[in-house]
Amino acid sequence: MERTAEARPIVEVKGLGKSFGAHKVLAGVDFSMRVGEVVAIIGPSGSGKSTLLRCLNQLEQHDEGSIEICGIQMRADTPIPRKDMNALRRSTGMVFQSFNLFPHMTVLRNISLPQERALGRSRAEADERSRALLDRVGLGSKADQYPARCSGGQQQRIAIARALALDPKIILFDEPTSALDPEIGLEVLAVMQELAEGGMSMIVVTHEMHFAETVSDRVILMADGKILEEGPSSEVMRNPKSPRAQQFLHAVMNR
Amino acid sequence: MSQTLSFWAEYLPKLLSGLVISLEVTGAALAIGIPLGLVAALLVQSKSRSVRWTTLAIVEIGRGAPALILLQFAYFGLPSSGLQLSSMGSAIAALSWTTCAYTSEIIRAGLQAVPRGQNEAAMTLGLSRLDALRFVIVPQGMRVAAPALLGFAILMLQASALCFSIALPELLSRANLIGTTTFRYMEILMLAALLYAAICIPATILVAVIERRLGQHTA
Repeated sequence: MERTAEARPIVEVKGLGKSFGAHKVLAGVDFSMRVGEVVAIIGPSGSGKSTLLRCLNQLEQHDEGSIEICGIQMRADTPIPRKDMNALRRSTGMVFQSFNLFPHMTVLRNISLPQERALGRSRAEADERSRALLDRVGLGSKADQYPARCSGGQQQRIAIARALALDPKIILFDEPTSALDPEIGLEVLAVMQELAEGGMSMIVVTHEMHFAETVSDRVILMADGKILEEGPSSEVMRNPKSPRAQQFLHAVMNR
Repeated sequence: MSQTLSFWAEYLPKLLSGLVISLEVTGAALAIGIPLGLVAALLVQSKSRSVRWTTLAIVEIGRGAPALILLQFAYFGLPSSGLQLSSMGSAIAALSWTTCAYTSEIIRAGLQAVPRGQNEAAMTLGLSRLDALRFVIVPQGMRVAAPALLGFAILMLQASALCFSIALPELLSRANLIGTTTFRYMEILMLAALLYAAICIPATILVAVIERRLGQHTA
């Protein structure tokens, strides 16, 4: 896992806070990551992992603190200009737990349409790119099928290809294998590992401890809306310092 | 029996030309009303309060007032404010309003049935709000709404019979007119009913077939 990540930060989060009504989901979260890094976020359910990820690309608006991602500044107290929002969506890709492919379009259209609409590529250019990406995730033969005809693992790999087609600088994965049975999950993890090795910046919210330990450069362990521990993967996973982290890792590593 | 049949054979052409008018009015009301219904379904979700309330008023009046009153209003009421519409024009205007009002609620329910993740995916893929609606949300929402819309279309054909009250020579007015001259109301109304059924029953079957087809690519 010794990849040389550039020193340039791609994500810088300071004092991030988010509440849903009276319920505080994130409180004072600080972290940063460099271009080319792979960061895994782990922690018990309800610890704010997904919300943190969704704040990064503004699917949720944060109430406190600031986020800088790919050079775009987002402060909680100032509305984000449309231009910045477009830039944000263009430079970040997202992969969802429930895939969220468009069921009424063929696999090829799923990947080509956003390229045409968001990047202004021609249909031919977009389709060429889409087919190349489908081949890369091992699904070249599925181009003309509808998503419902593909297995969950295939759908998730298509979703990854769809995100890649827009040439994002960073991809956010929100529990990409949680909806899949473990064996099928492996084919998705293999694609993600290949991306990581290719130098893609990635943040992965996951329950896959093996992936967190072996593929990611760094692990962030969250509980109750705060970062409990963070550091090089094997260190956090093997030698957690706080009792809460020890308890969580003990529970998930020994099953 | 043979008497009835020969009576029917004699007047069938007149009724058929009335049926054509019924179908024209219904078709026009649907062709105008459903797109307006889609627009209304989108506008009631607008962020602007004045747009939302205006749309809501149009929809609620259209649903709250009986179609018969809207028809009479368009035909007998509007001329006193200077707008003179033919009976065909008023029929299309009034029934379009009804269609818009009812279908906007059907379509709104369809749009809301599209999972939230679809919009989130569209947003993270850099689609504009309008593109997300156009390519992702509306096509899926309309698929959900389609069976109910087709069912509504059949109801509208039946509701078009109300146009007989504003002197539109559609199927029911023709039947009624024939009744007043021949006094054979029973037989002519029965034939009119058969003609409505001859359209509505196959249409209902068609709706079921389309419903099955549309379910094909849903996740």
